[in-house]
Amino acid sequence: MRSAVTAAARTKDERRQVAWAQIDADGWRDWARDLKTHVLTHLDDYLQQAEQSLAANGCKVHWAATGADACDVVVRIAERLSARSVVKAKSMLTEEIGLNGRLEGAGLAVRETDLGEFIIQLLDEPPSHIVGPSLHRSLDDCRRLFHERFGTALDASPETLAATARVVMRDEFLDADLGISGANFLAADTGTVALIENEGNIRISTSIPKVHVALVGIEKLVPRFEDLSGLIQLTARSATGQPIGNYVSLIQGPRRAGERDGPDEVHVVFVDNGRTNLLADPEAWEILRCVRCGACLNTCPVYRQTGGHAYGWAYSGPIGAILAPGLLGLRASMPLPFASSLCGACAEVCPVRIPIPELLVYWRERAAAEGLTPALETATMKIWATLSEHPDAFGVAADAVGALPLDAVGRRLPVVRGWMEERAAPQPSRERFLRTWSRKEEGQ
Amino acid sequence: MSPRNRILGYVRGATASRPRVPHPGRFDGRFLAGDDRPPVDRFVELFLAAGGEVERFADLEDAAQWLYGFAGDFESVTVGATVPGALRPHVPSTCPDLATLGISHALAGVAETGSLVLDSRDGRRTQLLAPTHVVFVRERDIHHTLVGAMVTLKADLPSAVGLHSGPSKSADIGQILVRGVHGPGRIVAAIVGEPGPE
Repeated sequence: MRSAVTAAARTKDERRQVAWAQIDADGWRDWARDLKTHVLTHLDDYLQQAEQSLAANGCKVHWAATGADACDVVVRIAERLSARSVVKAKSMLTEEIGLNGRLEGAGLAVRETDLGEFIIQLLDEPPSHIVGPSLHRSLDDCRRLFHERFGTALDASPETLAATARVVMRDEFLDADLGISGANFLAADTGTVALIENEGNIRISTSIPKVHVALVGIEKLVPRFEDLSGLIQLTARSATGQPIGNYVSLIQGPRRAGERDGPDEVHVVFVDNGRTNLLADPEAWEILRCVRCGACLNTCPVYRQTGGHAYGWAYSGPIGAILAPGLLGLRASMPLPFASSLCGACAEVCPVRIPIPELLVYWRERAAAEGLTPALETATMKIWATLSEHPDAFGVAADAVGALPLDAVGRRLPVVRGWMEERAAPQPSRERFLRTWSRKEEGQ
Repeated sequence: MSPRNRILGYVRGATASRPRVPHPGRFDGRFLAGDDRPPVDRFVELFLAAGGEVERFADLEDAAQWLYGFAGDFESVTVGATVPGALRPHVPSTCPDLATLGISHALAGVAETGSLVLDSRDGRRTQLLAPTHVVFVRERDIHHTLVGAMVTLKADLPSAVGLHSGPSKSADIGQILVRGVHGPGRIVAAIVGEPGPE
């Protein structure tokens, strides 16, 4: 599994590098950062404007303070329609709030229609990547799965597997009572829900069922319809290295008089679920600029080794590690802010210039101040702090460490022992650095 | 208090003391800035690179002649509501979920992204369900930039616009690219020169 994740993340990262080399990368990133910051500092105005535009387009607007409230809104819509089946477009927000479980609990058949989501739904696994949810699964994993579920050959080609999924889901699309999506962005002036994808399942999920429900995080707003042009291109270049997602849906509302198809009802659910808390944070509010492109995951040396499941919730990688404390609370998110080497690669690639390493450090400091760090680490840091302030004691401690037979000790320690099977620990110099330095100075 | 007012209240409280940042202005980050070829040339390059097919015609008559031959290989077609009468082949017409060929008329094209701009008034199922999709677009309707196309589009928005920039594709099975997962696996941009279909 690790090699699949590493290879996929590297490939995505290489494609992003090529795509960003074709454009004025700094100019695009500055514009996107400033646009999202503008929205976040005028969010109440844009939420109200969007509400009016959506209503004028014939959409029904709902507000949900929590994830549970958002799920309730969707269940109530489904109950009013006596709906039995739902087709879902890939949406990280619905993963975040656990919508599928709630809908299934209410007796609805839920089908994830993105091919990656379809695969992990069959496997009963959570997504391991914001953009490629089944990225941790190899072709052979998929062959075995499709063989067991749909009877395809064990050596079936990827084309055969995809064609099988297409046939299975086509009838489900045509029969579904409800189509559910998230939103990449929502333009306040025209009330446009913007969705980016490559397969066509989002266009179909939002076009064929009689009712479409879009769940939208309140930070997804943009001021103007034409602002979408920059964000759509920037997100695609960061996520997959394409100039644009293969399909972009710009949805203004339900089918109008004279249109031959499209949903009769469109509902937009504005979801807070911790976002206003994050917005109030003096440092961490910048996280709300995130466009969920996944570029920071692809470039992260930790993510490449661990994959997404190690992070334990919907959002993984560096963005997940800074978003979790903001949305779930710091205590519930431990030790995610520590799951990083602070190498800074994530900040280099973020298309909206979120200072991810600084925010990781920020959450770490908050965690230490709130007593959430492990006792051993806290004690070690205290000893270090004391020694640093007392040069004589520091010298004695340094001598003591220098005298330790590190190689022999290391080979007896758990975990370290394994690491040292192919490595030797160099013995530190017995002489203190200051003494060595003085000798050199004297010698000159 | 309603969830709406509570959320808006929290938002105001969170941002009250924060300096307000101005809007950065219209996005002008052009891909291939300085490339002064006609937009149709760049459109063709990108659309082909994304796996699409391109046919170019001098005029409507030329396009119709090609279509009648092309459509002859298909059992049934579904034709968009705004497709000009001349571009309706003599092949049995059926509902979009059964047709093997979909024919649509694009509102516009976009050079910098290689996109066809599709209008819900033309019919969404026709654009999405058939395995092969032919989209007619007038050469003069191809914009240089996406922002330019969107500013034009904004004056008369239908219930939904779809930007289609190549065949349906996915790499979710073992990171291997496959086509035609949900949408059409084959898409042909049929570009009509002057005078275009009216």
